[in-house]
Amino acid sequence: MPVLLLGPRLQTKLILAMLSRLIPVVLCGIALAQAPAQAPPQQIDLTKFPAAAVDDVVVPVPSEVFNVLDKLGSPNWSAELRDNLGQSSGDRAQVALLLGTVIAEGFIAVQAKNAERVKKIGQEVLTLADAINVRSAVIARSKSITEKADARDWAAVRSEFDGALQDVRGAMEQLGDDDLAQLVSLGGWIRGTEVLTSIVGKNYTPDGSQLLCQPELVNYFSRRVDEMRNTRLKKSRLVTKVRRLLKDIRPLIKRDTITVETVQKINTMTNEVVVTITTQES
Amino acid sequence: MANVKKILLGTLVVGLGLSVAVARVDDALSFAHEAADPYTKEGFTVREDAWGGDLGVKDQQAVTAQLFKGNTYWFWLGTDTPGAVITVHLYDSDGKLVESAYWQKGRFAAAKVTPAKTGTYYAIVTVEKSSRERSNWALVYGYR
Repeated sequence: MPVLLLGPRLQTKLILAMLSRLIPVVLCGIALAQAPAQAPPQQIDLTKFPAAAVDDVVVPVPSEVFNVLDKLGSPNWSAELRDNLGQSSGDRAQVALLLGTVIAEGFIAVQAKNAERVKKIGQEVLTLADAINVRSAVIARSKSITEKADARDWAAVRSEFDGALQDVRGAMEQLGDDDLAQLVSLGGWIRGTEVLTSIVGKNYTPDGSQLLCQPELVNYFSRRVDEMRNTRLKKSRLVTKVRRLLKDIRPLIKRDTITVETVQKINTMTNEVVVTITTQES
Repeated sequence: MANVKKILLGTLVVGLGLSVAVARVDDALSFAHEAADPYTKEGFTVREDAWGGDLGVKDQQAVTAQLFKGNTYWFWLGTDTPGAVITVHLYDSDGKLVESAYWQKGRFAAAKVTPAKTGTYYAIVTVEKSSRERSNWALVYGYR
């Protein structure tokens, strides 16, 4: 095999020649990298950005909300767990919404530090994912949820539930089921809002109620439901009910501080829809 | 969104052209995660999903996020374009700058906010300098 061998002197000459070319480039790079960042404007006009960019909202993962709730006190999470996770009717819209509520239930079980419940929910996530052809996306998550629940590693379990939600959504989007993916998020959001309003309503503080100030997120969900391409899905009784819920909640969460009466009202509204989702009415 | 899209991790892509495009965004995403990495040791949880696209020089892109009072957030930005300078800054729904810290180092940038109230916030991504007509970028965020 031919090998290029260089003597020490030739090597030095080559290195020097290379350095003379590289130094300006490196200096330029360092200057660029260390250039002080220009101060950003204190005020911008958001209307100048494309509507599409501003209108789409990054949907928060449930952990972001539970992370705040952790700092607000130690509510009785066990009392928030539902005895029955609900039944799949076979209707894809119902299954997608139900899957969202079950994943949200997983977070509540984590808060309650109930390992057996967490494991049961992990299994149910797998069953429901199977019903809408995305089982393979959550097999590893389901296994990991069980292992981490056994190890009582609650932060890790929470992270796995976050990941399961993302994985299910990602898999559905890859299958072209964007509408169903949205329903999974919505199911999670509705059940999450139900339990959030329950917790905040029982031990009301203005700071706690602020967690409900999500007008743009509700607008975003409403738009996504309105823009569903699958007309049959869009006009189904369950999706119509979800759309009405979003429309009714919107004016209630526009204020910076939400009263205890409003919190309780939202709780009743979301509870009704969760019951509808979990009792196979579609 | 016009130029911003959620990046699906672990996407199986069929077709060479699309593979290359995704690879570039993946590279930008790797840099965003590289910027985020040290913060995980400080207790920040980095979201598994990410957002990205491509922008021309001096072009800007807004990413809208629902943030919660009580959490602290860092947004980390990366680009795959060598020598490019990118920035990310955070504004509230009135268009007021709200970040409490930011930094910019070539193809990496980051900004931090501890929201004074729960609500809608905007991460504004800008390509300040680049040798390419368009530069791929990727944004991730984390919370504590």
